[in-house]
Amino acid sequence: MATAMNTGQIISGAGHTVLIGWLLFGGAFNTDPIPFEVTQVTAISTEEFEALMAVERAPNAASSVTEPTPPETVEPPAPALSSQTDAETAQTPPTPAEPITPDPTPEPPAPTPRPEAQVEDTAPVLPSPPQDTAVLLPEKSLRPKPRPAPRVAPEQVAPPEPETAIDDVVREEVVADDTATTQREEAEATAPEEAATEIVTEAEEGGGPIAPTASMRPKTRPERPTQAAEAKPETQPETPKPATPKPAETDNSAVQDALAAALGQASEPAPDTAPSGPPLTGGEKDALRVAVQSCWNVGSLSTEALGTTVVVTVDMGEDSKPINGSIKMIGSSGGSAAAAGQAFEAARRAIIRCGSSGFNLPIEKYGQWKTIEMTFNPENMRIK
Amino acid sequence: MMYRMMTLALACLVAFQAPALQAQDGPLRLEIKEGVIEPMPFAVPDFVPESGAAEELSRNIARVVAADLSGTGLFREISQDAFISRVTSFSSPVQFADWKAINAQALVTGAVAVDGTGRVTAKFRVWDVFAGQELGSGLQFVGTVDGWRRIAHKVADQVYSRITGEGGYFDSRVVFVSETGPKDNRAKRLSIMDYDGANLKYLTDSSSIVLAPRFSPTGDRVLYTSYESGFPRVYVLDVASVSRRLLESQDGTMSFAPRFSPDGRTVVYSLIQGGNTDIYTMDIATGASQRLTNAPSIETAPSFSPDGRQIVFESDRSGTNQIYVMNAQGGEARRISGGTGQYGTPVWSPRGDYIAFTKQSKGRFHIGVMRVNGEEERLLTASFLDEGPTWSPNGRVIMFTRETQGAQGQSRLWSVDITGRNLRQVQTPGGASDPSWSPLQ
Repeated sequence: MATAMNTGQIISGAGHTVLIGWLLFGGAFNTDPIPFEVTQVTAISTEEFEALMAVERAPNAASSVTEPTPPETVEPPAPALSSQTDAETAQTPPTPAEPITPDPTPEPPAPTPRPEAQVEDTAPVLPSPPQDTAVLLPEKSLRPKPRPAPRVAPEQVAPPEPETAIDDVVREEVVADDTATTQREEAEATAPEEAATEIVTEAEEGGGPIAPTASMRPKTRPERPTQAAEAKPETQPETPKPATPKPAETDNSAVQDALAAALGQASEPAPDTAPSGPPLTGGEKDALRVAVQSCWNVGSLSTEALGTTVVVTVDMGEDSKPINGSIKMIGSSGGSAAAAGQAFEAARRAIIRCGSSGFNLPIEKYGQWKTIEMTFNPENMRIK
Repeated sequence: MMYRMMTLALACLVAFQAPALQAQDGPLRLEIKEGVIEPMPFAVPDFVPESGAAEELSRNIARVVAADLSGTGLFREISQDAFISRVTSFSSPVQFADWKAINAQALVTGAVAVDGTGRVTAKFRVWDVFAGQELGSGLQFVGTVDGWRRIAHKVADQVYSRITGEGGYFDSRVVFVSETGPKDNRAKRLSIMDYDGANLKYLTDSSSIVLAPRFSPTGDRVLYTSYESGFPRVYVLDVASVSRRLLESQDGTMSFAPRFSPDGRTVVYSLIQGGNTDIYTMDIATGASQRLTNAPSIETAPSFSPDGRQIVFESDRSGTNQIYVMNAQGGEARRISGGTGQYGTPVWSPRGDYIAFTKQSKGRFHIGVMRVNGEEERLLTASFLDEGPTWSPNGRVIMFTRETQGAQGQSRLWSVDITGRNLRQVQTPGGASDPSWSPLQ
């Protein structure tokens, strides 16, 4: 039975291989630029993908692509996503002819007879208790002990050395060195200001066994190094940025290649009404979000203003600095007009302060961030 | 192979939608949910003296304004040594770039003039430095030279209000019990001072024990308990004239823990009669009293809600001291404290959103706050003995008594923000307990 199934799989695999080969190299996709090293798949966030699905713009290239749907029969390989070696997976289909028989994986059932007599009693009982405790202990120990700090920020920051100047960037002290061939300008050491992730009251910091009530929030994704390798449509006339081919070395390289090819194939010029250029990646958006939130100080807001969400728009210059006069509130919820006014002022200060030296945004995507709409929702800050 | 096939399928799926990737409907949208909580840097240059006699006053007023703001814990003053700009005229334009350079997010400029009659005029403006615009508009206060601190507090209240969006609490006073002498023979006097410890005055002598003073809603009267007669009795004292009178009481009873109703016409208090303690109200004008509770347990420490419709109090009817809320006319009470430990001295916030309380648990005393339905309990302090919370006029800060351990232990006043931040000792000349915060003057 197993052999019959394997044969069927082999035939199916071979058939699909031919079909895929034809699709990839037969010009079905017109994919001249097949080897596009586009960014990681992670560049497309779930929201973006959802958004894309929602847009009703039928690509012309769609007709010829409907065929490949068969791969649905390939449910099993799903877990293989984590693998890195394309080679192995590629070879398995050809060789398997007979070797596949070693599948005697079904053998394992053989040992089933084990469930003999009363072995059950001893085995299950003892192991379980220790496992429970083992799970609990780490859970507690992993939780950082809340430490009071004058500043509350999304991420905890250890207190800097006494002589260290406060700055967003960590820099080592540079002192004059007569023996050095090249002299660097002297500079004092800098480090971020100490911060806790939540307010720690005296009652909580006291030696008692009180555990933090809030768990650490996940770190935001680091800013992506380059966006040039993003899907750069050839057919898009208005987008200036050239695709900088960058070898994709990630685990998902195959998927990325395919996505890049697909994107390159199907790209269409955007309507005049929509911002031009490729959208910002999740990493780019996260970097902007992190930059703004680091300046969004809600410590001096009234409790009512802390319950007010405001939506603010800001026009950006090509130097990636906000145009201060353009910042305006276009909506608010959860508080009175006065509270919304206070919340807006805090939001405006955040945008102006952290944007004074320019946000880290890709100029080639200026069309996408020329106007930014930010929703400042202090819900998480109220419970700190 | 399978992997490649799946990859291809995914690629095809994306290919269908690829054009959409190039488009973005409307502006780039971001949601900011995380921020920071830290004191806002501000600058208060010395106010500009507009007359020769205002030289020192202009400097002093600016210093008090800065101290008031810094004392909240919500603001951090930038040292004058760091200033790049000097403000030499109240009407000259602000050099925002200079203030931005030192990261001053708020700037307070002002001027002071003193005329021949000793009348002081202080005017000021508040600036949002990074927005490059004024917050609100210029305002001025007029007072006497002796009252310059009140002028400064009023300026600070305005600045605080314009930046935070809620009322200030600087132009307020605190009445409390001043304590001197050893723990076992302590002399106690009723005292009154500005919220920051200035202008201390004594309202009674130390010939008898006084307890639990409470301001009236208008700040002109104080209720307190005195043992002058040998038993605890409730007195009402006029702050301006320092005259007092005994509230109606019956022989064989002891009354204590008084507190005004929001309209100032009624007093709610505890009365011990026949060995049982219950809560009563009394009309101050007529002396007519009404019993609100009738239980064999001890009911005490009543406090009105700001709208006068409910009373929160402490009772041991469940076997331990807990907090209950009942209608202002009496009737069924519902327990709102649910944690372990003992709760006492509940006080309703002037904003009506929280109830402050004292809690004893696991060998420590705490000052805490909870919602009026008992939810969101949060302990703000922990020490050998913390008790007797009182709210600032804006409901943002709590002042309380902290006593240290041992024979040499002493009581002091402390304050803490309702977030638990900015715990600090209040300046008093000696020992102090039982604070009661006045409304804004």
